[in-house]
Formats: sequence, structure tokens, C-alpha cells
Amino acid sequence: MNTEQPAMKGKRNVTKPSIVVGLVVIIAILPLVLSSIYMLHILILIFIYTIAAVSLRTITISGQFPLAHAAFMGIGAFSSGMIAKWLGWSPWLTMPLGALVAMGIGMLIGYPFARLRALYYAMGSLFFGIGVISIIYAGGDWTGGYSGLTGIPPLLPLGTSKVPYYYFFFGLAAVSLLALYRFEFSRIGLNLKAIAQSHIAASSVGINEGWYRILVVGVGCFFAGLAGAGYAHYNTVVVGTSFNFMATLWLVMYVLIGGINSFIGPIIGTVILILIPEFFRDLQTYSPYVTAAILGIVVYLMPQGLVGLPQLIRSRLFERRKGKRIANAS
Amino acid sequence: MEEALATLTNWLILSSMYILVALGFAFLFSIMGLLNLAHGAIYMIGGYIGLAFITSLGLNPWLALILTTIIIGAFGLFLERFCFRPFVGNFNRTVMICIVIILVLQTSVNNIAGTQTLSLPPFVEGVLRAGPASVSYERIVTFAIGAALLGAVVWFVNRTKWGQQMQAIAQDTEGAYLQGINVHRISALACFMSCGLAAIAGCLIGAYLYLGPFMGDFMLVKILMLVILAGVGSISGVLITGLVLGALDAVLPALLSGAYSDAITVTIVVVLLIIRPQGFFGRAVEM
Repeated sequence: MNTEQPAMKGKRNVTKPSIVVGLVVIIAILPLVLSSIYMLHILILIFIYTIAAVSLRTITISGQFPLAHAAFMGIGAFSSGMIAKWLGWSPWLTMPLGALVAMGIGMLIGYPFARLRALYYAMGSLFFGIGVISIIYAGGDWTGGYSGLTGIPPLLPLGTSKVPYYYFFFGLAAVSLLALYRFEFSRIGLNLKAIAQSHIAASSVGINEGWYRILVVGVGCFFAGLAGAGYAHYNTVVVGTSFNFMATLWLVMYVLIGGINSFIGPIIGTVILILIPEFFRDLQTYSPYVTAAILGIVVYLMPQGLVGLPQLIRSRLFERRKGKRIANAS
Repeated sequence: MEEALATLTNWLILSSMYILVALGFAFLFSIMGLLNLAHGAIYMIGGYIGLAFITSLGLNPWLALILTTIIIGAFGLFLERFCFRPFVGNFNRTVMICIVIILVLQTSVNNIAGTQTLSLPPFVEGVLRAGPASVSYERIVTFAIGAALLGAVVWFVNRTKWGQQMQAIAQDTEGAYLQGINVHRISALACFMSCGLAAIAGCLIGAYLYLGPFMGDFMLVKILMLVILAGVGSISGVLITGLVLGALDAVLPALLSGAYSDAITVTIVVVLLIIRPQGFFGRAVEM
């Protein structure tokens, strides 16, 4: 579970903001160009899952590998949806509330789980996630049981087109990513990376390992809950199976395929894994093969994920010119 | 009386099947340090290949069971060489390759056999009657095969040269290399056994309960619980934990509705894991 950060290259930082601004402008004018409602729906899903995937990666920088992230999306989705439906509160209020519930539960279980490390943390969180889903199934009328919670009040009035939703989730994703980026490159983020490299050395210089691990789980779960709550009020129907173990594994895939060692990795991974199968929709039930092929190519040829691709190509070319081997494997 | 007997046989069968699949998983875990998330999918495809042999080719069920075991075992050899060996010790890439295997297997089953649940024809017909109690031969045979295989695996690991080499690798891989043990060959053997056992369990469960493309996800969760609670490198630990988990799964659904019993089982497992993270019988694994 290697989560170390490669050193930032000062020279390239100059162009970074312009790339980000360019991307934001392109995404902002996309609905004016794109007429397909279905495509807008896919893009909205990409925004939601980007928040979840990036927040999952934020937890992994502390050396923990949670396998319950979709379950926290589920906690956010169901708590927000249930409060809005049964108490009649406004979705604008219940969405942050759902995120806070996910954060609270994440920090509560983070306390006993802080003594589990590496693989045992992953397994403990996996079982916790399964427990959450079975509690949702056992919830009867409150959660809708196996058939899911229906009739959740939508975020915007009924009959609103996809375009306002698109801009809302674009804004939500932008703010969340900015917050997570600031968090990762803050002093707290540095402490978390120190814990990931050696928890003993980190404790010996006065970093409170347990507290920081609980804190990062809380932050990660907050954004997962926010993404889940957003999904609930966008889709108005949520089913437990959308947040089960396989859904968590998909979030893990989004992170790993893009590259777990860089902030941009999960974003690229989410876009690629949600968008590419859409281009092969004509294949219908055979389209998972396309996903499997992409994953296979990445796992065999790109040890750093898709983010490492430019560097990989550069080093391959350089290697050929110089005529000597340069190790580019992780 | 009838219900108690049914619960008892259900317990024994579920436990033996969990243990069969979990032992294979535990071999790979302790020998290669491999968290084979695709193990559930391999168990699932075993059941489907058995079904294909019996219904499409019209083979004798017993012959089909043996052929399935060999084919899935060979598939395990392929996986070991091309999917697991290149990524030994790299958790992230192992997870990715396992997802690829799950995707390919589940999509193939969905497209060829459909998403509806199927079931294998019973291996034996008839019911054993003793006074007021009756047990179907199906259940007895399923449990007997499971128990016999468990005995064979325990004998193999403890009494044969290859089995002892497996234990040596599990204890210390580099030490085993230094003693001249061919680690790759033993890993391949472990993979063959692991996948073969999963295939047999898939066929037996396919006849006893049902076959579905997602039955592997359920089994994967069970064996993860079992192996993590048992700890690494302890076969008796897997046996005991398997009996306990099987008992929970056989008794709780008889008393409560399905979702509640799942929630209770998971809660118990999480609490046990927090109490003793390194497992109850074996040792902790460093990753």
C-alpha cells in the first residue's frame, strides 16, 4: 500500500492553474454544446462519483485503505433522503446533514478501527460496509428495505431540466475538490503522509496518530456522504445495492486506475471508467468486457496508473535513445 | 424435530462448503500473500461449468464434477502464471487484476447463461428415513464429499512433501528459497488446489442451493470473514471459524428475517476483529 507522493516539479507548476481554468471553462460551456440529455446525466454521475473517489483517495494518504466508502455514500444518501421524506425538511438542509451523519458515523467507527492497520483496517471497514447495507435492508418501511427508498424530494422543483442540475453538481464537485486539495497539501496532510510512511516515527515526533487517522476518515466520509446525498436528491430513488461491496470496489478502481499517488488520478479514473463504456453502449451486455480491457491494459502496462502514462512514454523514448534501461516500474 | 434436524444438516453442509472455499483462499493468502478477491467468481464459474457439462453435454454428474475440478484447476494455473505472479506483493495491482477476473467471468456468465438463478440436478436422489426423522441423500452426500476433501487436504498439507513445502513457504518465503524449494511451482500447485476446491464447492452448492452470477460475491464475503478471523497459517483455525460462521448462518435465518441475521453476523465479526485483529488462531500478516 504505497501512498507516497512524488515530489512536485516547480517548473511545471506555472502552467497548472491555466490548465485547470481551461478545463473549468470547457466543462462550463459543455451543456450549451451538448444537446443529449442522457450525456448530461452521465456527466452529472461523473461529478458525483468524482467527489466520492477523490475523498476515498484522501483517506488513503494516511496509509489506511478503507473498503467501505460506498457504504458511507449510502449513509449520506439514506439519512438525507429519509429526513427529507419523513420529516419534510428541505433537501438543501438535509444534504449537508446527511454528509454530517456520514462523517459522525465514520469518526465513531474510526475510534475502534484506529487500532487496526493495513490489511486488517481494510477488512474491518469492508465488514462494516456490509453491515451498513444489511441494516438498510433490515430497515423495513423506514429505508424501503430491499426495494429501496422511493419518493425522495428532488433538489430542484419537479420538471427542471438536467442543465441546472449539471451546474449545481459541477459547482459542488469544484468546491469539494478544492477543499480536499487544500486539506491534502495543508499541515494536516503532511502529518498524514508522515503517518503513512511510518506510524512509529510519526508518533515519536509528536503526531497523534489515532486522532489524525480518525480526522481523515471523518473528512473523507463527509464528502462521500455529500456525494451520496446529492445522488439521492438527484435520482429521487436510492437502492441499497448501489452502495454495496461491489460499489466500493468500483470506487477503489476509479482511484487505482487513475493513479493513487496523485490528486488528479481519481478524477481521470472516474471520467475514463464511466465515460468509455458509454461509447460502447451498442455492445449492451458485452460492454463490461471493454471496462475489463481498459483495466487490464492499465494493470499490466502502467504501474503508476493513467497519470503515469506521459512519464512512462517519455522514459521509454528516452531509454531507447540513450540505449540503456531505466527502471520505471514502481 | 424435523426443523432441528434440517438446521443441523444445513449447518454441517454450509460449514463444510465455507471451509472448502476458505481453505483454498487461505493457501493463496499464506503462500503468496495474495488477497484473491476473484475467489468467489472462480467458485461461481465452477458451478456453471459443472452445469454446462451436465445439461449441455449430458455427462454423468460425477464425471462432470471431476472434469470441472480439473478444468478450473488448470484455469488456476493460468491465473497464477499470468495474473498473480507478476504482481506478488503489490496490493493495489492485485486488487485491480482480481476485478478484471471478476468482470470477465461474471459478464461471460451473464451473456451465456443469463442472470436468472439456475440449479444443478441433484447428484443423488432419495431420502434416508430413520423413524420420524428423514434426511435427503443429497445432503448426506454433499457433507460427505466436503468432509472427505477436508480430510484429504489436511493430510496433504501435513503429511506429503509438497504440503510441507507449502507450509515452509507460508512460514518464510526467502527461507524456503534457500532450502531449494521451487516456490513458483508450489504456488502453482496451491493455485490449482485452491481453484479446484472452489469449483467442487460451486458444483455442490449449485445442486444444494442455487446458481447465480452473483453467488460468488456472497461467498467471497464469507471466506474473507473466515480467513481474517482465523488468522494466517492455521488450518484448524479455519475449521473452527468455519463451523462457527456456518452455525450463525444456519441458525439465525431460522429465527429472524434474512436482513437482520446478516446484520447480526456482520456485527459479531466486526467486534471480534476489533478485539483480536491478528486473528484467533494463526498469526498476523504484514502488508
